[in-house]
Amino acid sequence: MNPLFLLSILIFLPLVGAALLLIFDERNADAMRFWSLGVTLLTFIFSVVLWCQYNPAEGMLVADVCEWIPSWNIYYRLGVDGISLPLVVLTGLVSTLAMAASWSITKHVRGYLILFLMLESGMMGVFLSLDFFLFYVFWEVMLLPMYFLIGVWGGPRKEYAAIKFFLYTLAGSVLMLIAMLMFYFASGSQADSFNLLALAQKASQGGLMSPGTQITAFLLLFIGFAIKLPAFPVHTWLPDAHVEAPTPISMILAGVLLKMGGYGIIRIAFPLCPYGAQYCAWGLVAIGVVSIIYGAFAALAQTDFKRLVAYSSVSHMGYVLLGLAIWKINETTGETMNSDYWQMGLNGAMFQMIAHGISSTGMFFMVGVVYDRVHHRDLNKFGGLMGLMPLYSGLAAGLFFAGLGLPGLCGFIGEVFVVISTWSFSPMLAVLSAAGVILTAGYILWAMQRVYLGAEYRGPHPEALTPSNGRENAVAAILLGIAIVLGVYPAVLFDVMEPSIKAMATAAAEGYRHSHAEAQAAAGQAQAALNR
Amino acid sequence: MVGETLRNLLLIAWLLPLCGFAVEIFGGFWGSRRSRVAAWLAVGCIATGFVCSASALTIWGNANGWSVLHHAEHHADETAADGHVAHDSVTPPAPETLAAADAHADAAAKPAAEPDAQKPQDSSAAATTAHNDSADHDHQHTAASPAARTVYSGTFYRLATFGSLELSLDYYIDSLTLVMFTMVTFIATCIHLFAIGYMSEELTEEYVDHHAHLRNGHHVHRPGRFYRFFAFLSLFCFSMLGLVLAGNIFQVFIFWELVGICSFLLIGFYTERKSASTAANKAFIMNRVGDFGFLIGLMVVWTYFGTFKFADTVDVDGHVVQAGLFHMLPRAADGNVIINPENGEVQIGAAAANPGNTHKTIPYYLLVVAGLGVFAGCIGKSAQFPLQTWLPDAMEGPTPVSALVHSATMVAAGVYLTGRFYPMFVQEVLLTIAYIGCITAFVAATIAIVATDIKKVLAYSTISQLGYMMLGLGVFGWGAGLFHLVTHAFFKSLMFLCSGSVIYGCHHEQEMPKMGGLWRKMPITAFTMLVGVMAIAGLAVPGLVGPGFGQLFAFSGFHSKDAVVATALAYVQANPAHFLLFILPLITAGITAFYMFRLWFYTFAGTPRDHHVYDHCHESPLIMTGPLLVLSVLAAYCAWGGEQGSLYLLITGDQPAYVSHGIPAVAGALTMPGHDAVHAVHHQAGTYALIAAFSGTFLAWLLYGSGKVDVAEIKRQLGGVHGFLANKWHFDELYDALFMRPTHVVGRFCASIDRLIFDAILHGSAAATVLVAKWDRAFDEKVVDGLVNLLGNATWSAGNSLKVLQTGRLRQYVMFIVAGVVALFGVLLATFPR
Repeated sequence: MNPLFLLSILIFLPLVGAALLLIFDERNADAMRFWSLGVTLLTFIFSVVLWCQYNPAEGMLVADVCEWIPSWNIYYRLGVDGISLPLVVLTGLVSTLAMAASWSITKHVRGYLILFLMLESGMMGVFLSLDFFLFYVFWEVMLLPMYFLIGVWGGPRKEYAAIKFFLYTLAGSVLMLIAMLMFYFASGSQADSFNLLALAQKASQGGLMSPGTQITAFLLLFIGFAIKLPAFPVHTWLPDAHVEAPTPISMILAGVLLKMGGYGIIRIAFPLCPYGAQYCAWGLVAIGVVSIIYGAFAALAQTDFKRLVAYSSVSHMGYVLLGLAIWKINETTGETMNSDYWQMGLNGAMFQMIAHGISSTGMFFMVGVVYDRVHHRDLNKFGGLMGLMPLYSGLAAGLFFAGLGLPGLCGFIGEVFVVISTWSFSPMLAVLSAAGVILTAGYILWAMQRVYLGAEYRGPHPEALTPSNGRENAVAAILLGIAIVLGVYPAVLFDVMEPSIKAMATAAAEGYRHSHAEAQAAAGQAQAALNR
Repeated sequence: MVGETLRNLLLIAWLLPLCGFAVEIFGGFWGSRRSRVAAWLAVGCIATGFVCSASALTIWGNANGWSVLHHAEHHADETAADGHVAHDSVTPPAPETLAAADAHADAAAKPAAEPDAQKPQDSSAAATTAHNDSADHDHQHTAASPAARTVYSGTFYRLATFGSLELSLDYYIDSLTLVMFTMVTFIATCIHLFAIGYMSEELTEEYVDHHAHLRNGHHVHRPGRFYRFFAFLSLFCFSMLGLVLAGNIFQVFIFWELVGICSFLLIGFYTERKSASTAANKAFIMNRVGDFGFLIGLMVVWTYFGTFKFADTVDVDGHVVQAGLFHMLPRAADGNVIINPENGEVQIGAAAANPGNTHKTIPYYLLVVAGLGVFAGCIGKSAQFPLQTWLPDAMEGPTPVSALVHSATMVAAGVYLTGRFYPMFVQEVLLTIAYIGCITAFVAATIAIVATDIKKVLAYSTISQLGYMMLGLGVFGWGAGLFHLVTHAFFKSLMFLCSGSVIYGCHHEQEMPKMGGLWRKMPITAFTMLVGVMAIAGLAVPGLVGPGFGQLFAFSGFHSKDAVVATALAYVQANPAHFLLFILPLITAGITAFYMFRLWFYTFAGTPRDHHVYDHCHESPLIMTGPLLVLSVLAAYCAWGGEQGSLYLLITGDQPAYVSHGIPAVAGALTMPGHDAVHAVHHQAGTYALIAAFSGTFLAWLLYGSGKVDVAEIKRQLGGVHGFLANKWHFDELYDALFMRPTHVVGRFCASIDRLIFDAILHGSAAATVLVAKWDRAFDEKVVDGLVNLLGNATWSAGNSLKVLQTGRLRQYVMFIVAGVVALFGVLLATFPR
């Protein structure tokens, strides 16, 4: 299929589907749900078509460019490569499964479905845009439906959570906007000033920004993306948003939205300001390690089931940041050292994003299944679910083990690849990050013990604990199946990602070398001036 | 060709249990709770696995003409000094081996008559089997004795490639792998059969769990879970065999974790019991503590060596593409690791052949870190001090699990890995291993003395024996440690099954004080247990343990423990400072005999102490006693011939080259005893060990068998010591205070930081924003609006005050006009210039 058509349809199909929801009879909720499920499923199928059509060896698959606001050099520019493709497919998958999990939503069904589909459009747009402005627009487009989905369909403190989520993300986007303008003017307001590929190309030749400006721009971008990731210490919106959001929205939030932070870093921050990225690498790795350990400790202390899973997300996304940033250079020559290990870290981080998208989505769904039945999430008031809902408990155990990082399931590969490639960057931080495995086992097993094991259920509404139905089993089984495939044969993902990541890393290393030389020269001149 | 056959056979043995698991877990869930199909399926899978493994062992042996067994006849001729002694093998070496040998072997070491023509044949064979990245190749492990040592390795499939770094699933087949495969599948088959009887109570729609209580005091009623038990057992077998077959250390780690989770599932099999699920968590988390060390070891290895593979990667032409870990550490001819004296770094051998490797040297201390890290994993898995406390708790699982997972195979995986990774261990690491093993053996044995739960005694004895194995490996007894692993697997699984038979017969009574005199009720169990006890105690008839018929009077444990103790003695003679490494194991040998016979006398001999238990007790059915009888034969005689016997020779067939000759000390370092040094003290050490064992046995008989001594009185006299031991040296309390509680405190601290600091800052800034907005509003309302309003008001009130003038009466207006005109004139006249 024509790339422009295929990529555009991924973005706009959900939007069209949302518009067509208006012709449905409002009282017929199931018809609308099936329609929306069909739309998300079709979008997912198109994303799989894209996966099949994409050839990893060819690098970026760029669609034809259309003018959008030519006077400001803004174009409708889409493309996909090994970095974004897995995330696009993940978005399609998680949206479909979250839609299948949306049967429990009974309030204002039409409004919910329309916002849901708009959200999917926004997410697809973020992963497919190659124009910075377009990216920014989609970034914001995705924000609003999310705000309403949490704020209207959420739990008791939904307004608080929704506003917190909105303001946090908006604060990040403002910083991103500033950075965007910096790039626009630094590149001379030319035709390619919002073109991410062209900007990256320029940056890799050291011609985009001076080293000092790069650091500023990188920090602005990084803060925006770190909020989304979320990294310590700007993570506190996440537990609240997750706890208050309805189950399907939690799935989307954990499965896709958090990935945008990592995606932004690897797609925009690293290629556009390589010097800044390398300059901040140690700090990034440290933040990643702190997120891992801190999130795990905080998860251990939670009594709310969903909050625990939310903190586990903080911990798991720490591995992403860690893996991305283990970029070590030779201080004198500016050459990248141990580049294979850095690439392993980058690949591991990307894999971890997908793996977390599967396992965390599954975990939130599993929490939602019991919440729908007993309407509470207090870990101390569960127990004995293994006897009452055996199939559900078995599937849940599998998904929680995936989150725990058990070999043979997806979580293991990402975590362990990142961790073992970290020693070449900093042994101390590597050891700290490895300590996370103990804590992860601790909080997940302890939670499982309190919920699934034990002699009997100790909370309210014991009569509601009926075995899971076919729809619930199907969602969980699909996620678990993918977790197993990715865990047993990770090459299926690495083969797609590796060439694109390698290209990115090589270009960034090249860009760093140029900027490093520039910085050295400037320092030399300053020194000479001082000597005179 | 041979390599391919071996690979396929072991692949079947490895993967069949996985298929079995999938069928059993789903079939059982939707099938009848009364069906035994799952069990027979599991038995079928693992028994087929055993047949495959045994065939593989036979094929492997035939391929190299069983040269490892003939090795023994030349043992005495071998001299420690010369590493390249060639000895004439009676059987002509098989073509496969020879051709493979060409790749590496020292040509001088080979018989001149070797037919070189075989080489192309093998190359073509290799070429046909090489598909992309799954090249199967055979090569010689070392040049020391070319005819005997053959290792087959290759790749199953690739996990990921990053530049020149590659991770894959590999296999590594040598004599140790094959012995382990055969042993594991055989014992597992016996235990599966036993479990069919033991778990038969689960074959019901309504199983009553007498150990799990509801809040109202009733027992838990639940559907039976027969199928689930066998499914988990199958999954465990798959993981364990994968661990043994693994061709790289990363793959070992993968299956390492998988056996851990199977152990978790099986310990917590009775999910309704709080104690069971807690024990399962404890086991997994303590193992993860060890795995944390394992990960650190992996990181160092990965960063500096750039590969995880044990063996070299060879392309179709026989060129080494990438050196394996086992060939990267440069060792001098005497076996010492070569260190650059200037910077303390070690040259990484074959670095040129390792393109992904940016490091050409590794600091020596990092070698120690890597070794200790990997060994930390072994500490966790093999329940060594200081991570030993999970294993006794793991006895919460059904007894067949204790027999298979927590004594014979999984916990021995730590020992296996220590043996497998031996070439990477430098002597500081070996010394640590020796001391850890030594301390573990002693501590666990002392606790076993006072334990009263029949399974707990066996659990502590397992820990203690694992300590022996570690000690053996640590004092350079590579063969001795692994020899003890295999013999222990047989007699310990036998004893656990016997205890299972007792527990089954006594209707889930595990406390020995309530037993006694059971031999009359269950003679087969009592007899087979006695065989196991004699084996572990290391008893033999003095003077009759020579070769041939005399072997009848020496059970397997005697031989293997003898080997360990003898190596320890040789080590201590060479390094007198470490005398504890011989003294403590010797004392422990006595204690072992004591507590094992205590167990036997307590349970089977004497008079019944609890008549309720005794009266209802019965011998187990044939499906349980059958495996006991089979295992008892092997427990007694699997080590036939001792260190000249075929088991020992098979295990050591592919031992690291430098092991048999020992390593002489360089400046300030330790001496590692070779076979000759061990051989010299063998008789002496054996005598000591036998004396210790007999004293322990005698003491046990005196206290528990003779009925002449009041044990309760002794217990009262030694109350302090007894309490200390009964509380397991207070390790649980210590760890609780040191780690558990602080972790929870830190957890709560982190959670409260989020609430009290980050959210407080956020809420503070939100409040500040609201405050600023309020000021803003006040300014708008008070100042800006005030001014505007003031102006407006002034205008309005001015107008208002003027409105009284507008009355509409004409006369008044005329009067205003007149007054105005008069006033104007007045002003005009007053100001007009005169």
